[in-house]
Amino acid sequence: MPEELQPQSILFFILSGVCIGSSLAVVLHKNPVISAVSLVLSFFSLAGIYAVMNAIFIATMQVIVYTGAIMVLVIFVIMLLSLREETNLEIWRNPVKQIAIVFVVCIFGGILVASMNFNPEIGNGDPIESYKFLIQNGQNSGVEVKGNTASVGASTFLQYLLPFELVSILLTVAVIGAVVIAKRDKLNQS
Amino acid sequence: MNTLISGVPLTYYLSLAAAMFAIGVLGVLLRRNAVVIFMSVELMLNAVNLVFIAFSKSMGIIGGEVIVFFVMAIAAAEAAVGLAILVAIHRHKKTVFVDEINLLKW
Repeated sequence: MPEELQPQSILFFILSGVCIGSSLAVVLHKNPVISAVSLVLSFFSLAGIYAVMNAIFIATMQVIVYTGAIMVLVIFVIMLLSLREETNLEIWRNPVKQIAIVFVVCIFGGILVASMNFNPEIGNGDPIESYKFLIQNGQNSGVEVKGNTASVGASTFLQYLLPFELVSILLTVAVIGAVVIAKRDKLNQS
Repeated sequence: MNTLISGVPLTYYLSLAAAMFAIGVLGVLLRRNAVVIFMSVELMLNAVNLVFIAFSKSMGIIGGEVIVFFVMAIAAAEAAVGLAILVAIHRHKKTVFVDEINLLKW
């Protein structure tokens, strides 16, 4: 527990409050368009939290990929489908929904208790300022970079190269699959 | 193991992630609109990303941030395919409410 309140702590509390509030708005609001806009706000505040944690690259990617690409896709689909509003949620009358709420509270409590009691001894705890990759060819050659973005990039392309290539194949398959699924069926068109 | 990340305890980040994940589960279980269920799944993915970044910063291992990058790519793929399925279902059934979609029921 920090003794005096630092500006980073204040930022964290403001951003996490905005994040939880807009997440609740996503789930509880009846109009799906307002849900989507609240989700954009939630992603922005989460990007701010990443920036507070010094994960600059991930914060940028959060803004570009999530709020820039995925949410535009979601809002386009909402407009394409011309959704009507849901009727009342009626959380307290439906017994299945009551069980669902109890279940969620149990999950939340369990994760909270587990995170409070968590105290492992892994890693040296030094802040990540640089990344070093040793090439295994008998000599003492290697790559060393400084800074958050350079560290993530070097780690992606040196240590995690095979998963990176597999993700590119996955994205190609997903794009082709999305086009094939959403295409109008010529046989049933008549 | 560094329990303070930028002056904020690790437990606070984990609690925020737990709250976001619980809200996401709540959305999946309570809502009928498939698009909102989809957005709740995105919320849960973001909670997991936050845990990855928190432990990456706390342990001083860069791999967590790389995995978050991969999770984002997979979320983008999932968004494309999932929304295409929604559009296809809406074309057949004229609804996206999950309790009215019973194509597999016979």
